Amino acid sequence: MTAGSLDAFLAGMDAERNSLVTPSGFITIGEMRDAAWKLAAEYQFSRRSRLALCGLFSVELITALIAFDGVVDSMLLLPASLDEGTIAVLMESAESEWRITNLQEGPYRVGDAMAAGNEGVQPTRWILATSGTTGVPKLIEHTLETLCRTVKRDSNRGVEFVWGLLYDPCRFAGLQVVLQALLSGSLLSIPQTGKITDHIEFFSSCRVNALSATPSLWRKLLMSKQTETLPLCQITLGGEIADQGILDALKYAYPGARITHIYASTEAGSAFAVQDGRAGFPAQWLDHSSAPVMLRVSDDGHLLLRPALLPAGEEVRSRIDTNGYLDTEDLVRVEGDRVYFLGRVSGAINVGGNKVTPEEVENHIRKVSGVLDVRVFGKRSSILGEIVTAEVVASTGYDVQELQRSIQKYCRSQMENWQVPAMISFVPALAVNAAGKRERCS
Amino acid sequence: MKAKIIDVMREISAESELQLVSELDDCTVLLESGLDSLGFAILVARLEEELGYDPFSIMDEPVYPRTLGEFVSIYQKFAP
Repeated sequence: MTAGSLDAFLAGMDAERNSLVTPSGFITIGEMRDAAWKLAAEYQFSRRSRLALCGLFSVELITALIAFDGVVDSMLLLPASLDEGTIAVLMESAESEWRITNLQEGPYRVGDAMAAGNEGVQPTRWILATSGTTGVPKLIEHTLETLCRTVKRDSNRGVEFVWGLLYDPCRFAGLQVVLQALLSGSLLSIPQTGKITDHIEFFSSCRVNALSATPSLWRKLLMSKQTETLPLCQITLGGEIADQGILDALKYAYPGARITHIYASTEAGSAFAVQDGRAGFPAQWLDHSSAPVMLRVSDDGHLLLRPALLPAGEEVRSRIDTNGYLDTEDLVRVEGDRVYFLGRVSGAINVGGNKVTPEEVENHIRKVSGVLDVRVFGKRSSILGEIVTAEVVASTGYDVQELQRSIQKYCRSQMENWQVPAMISFVPALAVNAAGKRERCS
Repeated sequence: MKAKIIDVMREISAESELQLVSELDDCTVLLESGLDSLGFAILVARLEEELGYDPFSIMDEPVYPRTLGEFVSIYQKFAP
C-alpha cells in the first residue's frame, strides 16, 4: 500500500461497509481491496510499468485502479467504444507497455519496458482520453489528487448516499462518480449494459438517491415514469450546458433534492459547481478570490480559469497563458449578475454530450453529388441541447428533396447518427461575415 | 395535431431507419415508441419549423411527457 494511493484511502474505511452493488450482488470495501491485492500480487507490475486498461467492465476497472494506483508508473484508461486503430495510436502515445482488456486473461505485452521511469517519488499518472470528435482523442495526464480535487471525503455524510453510475467510468465524468462514491464511503450502484429503463429499475431496487448525468440524459430520465420511484436527494448535471429549463424541470420533479451543475472537462478537471438553481454562474466569481476557482473572461469572450491543480502534459501546457490561466475554449456572455455559457469557440456542436465538429460534417456533405456548398451549425434543442443542422447550396438542375435524401443517406453511412444533420435547408448562397469567414452561429 | 405529430414521427423513423411500434395511440409510452432521444429532438425541431413554436422551451410548468397523449396535449395547450 502506498501513501496517498486509492488503496490507502480505502484502508482507512470500515472493511465491512458495502461499496459496490451490481445485479450480481454487493461487494464490500474489504472484498474489493482483497481482489485488488490478489490482482497486484498476480501481475507483479513495478513502478516503471505503464498500463493500458482497455474497456474493462466497471467492477474490473475499479479493482484494477485500486490494485495499481501507487504501484505503476501510469494507467491509460480507454473506453470500450474506441476502435482498434485509435487504441493503438493512444497506447503508443502513452508509451503503454502492457495492455489489459480482461482481468481473467491477464496482461499482454505491447511495448518495451522503460529503461528508467517513475522510481516511486511521483504518484501514478492516470491518463484519460478527451471526448473530442475529430481524429484521435487527446491524452490528458491526471493523478488521483487532480481527479479528486473537488471530491468530498466525508464518510459520515457519504453513508447517506447511494450513487448510480450512468457514465462510462473510463471517462472523466464517470470517474468522478466512482471516486466520489469510493472516497466518501457511499454505495455505488452499477447497472449492466442495457436500456435506460432497465438502469432506472435497477437503481430503484438499490434505492439510488444520488445521480449524475448530462442535461440530455436527465430529460430522457424525466420522460420515464419509473424515475419518480428514485428517492433522489442529490442531482448532478455536467458534460453539456445546463439550461434553465432542465434545472427548473428537475426542481419541479424533486423539490427536496440538491441540484448541482458542474463545470468540468477532461483538460481542466472539475472546476466549479453551481447550486443556486440558476443556469450559468455568478458574475461576482470573475476575478474574485472568493470564487471556487480563479475565473476570468478574455476580451473575445473565452472563459479562462486557473485551478490550483492542473493536469500535466503538453496539451494542457500549450493552453495556459503567462498568468497561469487555462483557456477553456468555451464562449461565455456576462448578463447582469450572471455569466452564461454560449458554446464552444470552435463552433463544435454538443448533441446530448456528443461533440460534433461542423467542418467534419461539411466535408462529408460536400462529397454528395449536387452539393455546391454547405454550412453546418448547431441549432438549440430543448431535448438534446443542440442538434446538427445544415444549409446547402444545390447545383442547378438537382431536385432538392432528392438531394436531401442523398445527403442524409450518405452521412448516415459515414458518421454516427448524432453527427447526421437533423434538418437540412436549401439556400441560394451562404452568409459570410465581414472578415469573409463562414458564419458559424445559428 | 395528433395526426401531424404521428406523420412527422413516421417520417423521422423512416429516415433514421428506426422501427416504430405498430400502434401509436395516446397510451404509447414515448421511450418505448421506437424513437430514440435524437429522434425526439428532431421531432420537436421539425414541429417547431412547421408549427412555429417549441412548447418545451416556453412552458412555465416544466414537465416532460411520458406518453404520446401527453406529448400531443402539450402541443395543443401551447398552440398560439
